[in-house]
Amino acid sequence: MSADTDLLGRPRTPAEDELLELYRRCKALLEREDLAPCAHAGARAATVALWNAVNDLGLEHEQLIDLGA
Amino acid sequence: MGASEYWNPKTETLGREELAALQLHKLRRLCQWAAARSPFYQRAFRQAGFQPEQLRSLDDLRRLPLLTRDQWMASQGERPPFGLLPVAGREAAIRWHTTSGTTGREPIRVLDTAKDWAWQSEMWCYGLWGFGVRPADVAYVAFGYGSFIGFWGLHYGVEKLGALCVPGGAQPTESRVKQIVDFGATVVASTPTYALRLAQEADRLGVDLANSPVQRLILSGEPAGSIPQTKALIERLWGAKAGDTAGMTEIGTIMIFECSHQPGGTHIIEDHFIEEVIDPATAEPVGYGEQGERVVTSFGRGIIPLLRYRTADLVAKVPASRCTCGRGFDLYEGGILGRVDDMKLVRGTNVYPRAVEGIVREFAGIEEFQLRLTREGHFDRIALRVEPAEGTSDQTWADMAERLAKALAEAHEGLRFEVERAAAGELPRFELKARRTVDLRDQPIGAEGP
Repeated sequence: MSADTDLLGRPRTPAEDELLELYRRCKALLEREDLAPCAHAGARAATVALWNAVNDLGLEHEQLIDLGA
Repeated sequence: MGASEYWNPKTETLGREELAALQLHKLRRLCQWAAARSPFYQRAFRQAGFQPEQLRSLDDLRRLPLLTRDQWMASQGERPPFGLLPVAGREAAIRWHTTSGTTGREPIRVLDTAKDWAWQSEMWCYGLWGFGVRPADVAYVAFGYGSFIGFWGLHYGVEKLGALCVPGGAQPTESRVKQIVDFGATVVASTPTYALRLAQEADRLGVDLANSPVQRLILSGEPAGSIPQTKALIERLWGAKAGDTAGMTEIGTIMIFECSHQPGGTHIIEDHFIEEVIDPATAEPVGYGEQGERVVTSFGRGIIPLLRYRTADLVAKVPASRCTCGRGFDLYEGGILGRVDDMKLVRGTNVYPRAVEGIVREFAGIEEFQLRLTREGHFDRIALRVEPAEGTSDQTWADMAERLAKALAEAHEGLRFEVERAAAGELPRFELKARRTVDLRDQPIGAEGP
């Protein structure tokens, strides 16, 4: 597995790249401490939803407990 | 998204080698996570001399110790209320559920984080989509929505895939039948037993379910969803296809589902689970087609890592090629075949409740039944108590009872079953897991109760 491949070592598609990027940005949002409760809850829901997509597609497999999810 | 036959075409169609590589990657991560955070696994790995770095292939999975329900329960006793398996306390969770309690034992308590809970719905999406549920469907969930995890995940899975979800909630069966018809449900989710109960109630109300819009039944909670005779009866009464699924509270969701090709078995969701089949006596793996005990490793629920959990479910794994749907996921032929400890020995003959149900379901006009085992002195008795449909004449009953006794004896090396008529409404009805086998042989005299 490299920076441009999925967990199986296959090259990622452009759509997969975009999903992964969105997921990582949502995770980064969750780490911020200046979000309103409504924004934080929305970011958490989005992160969880994208986690399912990147996990299903074999792009990432990790736990989110330390991010409160 | 409606064109694909698969919920996740990328992994559902992987070849065995790539699937194994994906499983190994997830297994390593899961073991590292458990070793770092779970007090239970820290101790278990230490006692077994296991370290995650030892995982070089899936064969190394056997280096991990097996986990039993008794160990889980002991752990709950050691550190109430959730035990030592969780990696975090309830402050990290958004849901608290328990096992159904149908066995009368203390329930297992489980937690889920937001991510875990969403993953559980995702597993249901694999099954719902695989059986043909689509965004245009109206799905009626005949479920009481209690602390038992049951169809909770299905509910959110239906929402996730974009179909219209109707929560049946706690209400009488008659009301549910009326809602199924009034709301134009095209999909109904229930236990197999309750699907039959709904059909009986519809008949009593004069509702013709076979001509209703219902096209698919999603069955779960009991092995009966894959008993051919029970499935055929449900499909005939509803005029709809019945798809079996199975899950468990310990993993929070389903791990197997029947696809729309209805191959006589259920696909294992192998990109999210590793399912082993072992000889229950020796714990050695058994081959394709051989019956054994299901052992599950789940990659989904992060707050309670689950590695090599002995489920006591009896299964027989067959290769993915058994089905024509194109999935690379292996199957359990006949779904969950029963429990490892289901088999009853009566006067030297093995009796399996699943086989008895298969025979009973071949007879029309049976509302409910119960298998009752008692002991008189040193003599075991086995009785099939049957509640025939209302209005069954004495002559019709006598004929049915004779044919039932004959069919049961022929299937059990001549063992004599006493077939008894129960009064209307006498036998228990079930919404969740049916318990139709009552074995009173080990109880002291007088312990049976009213």
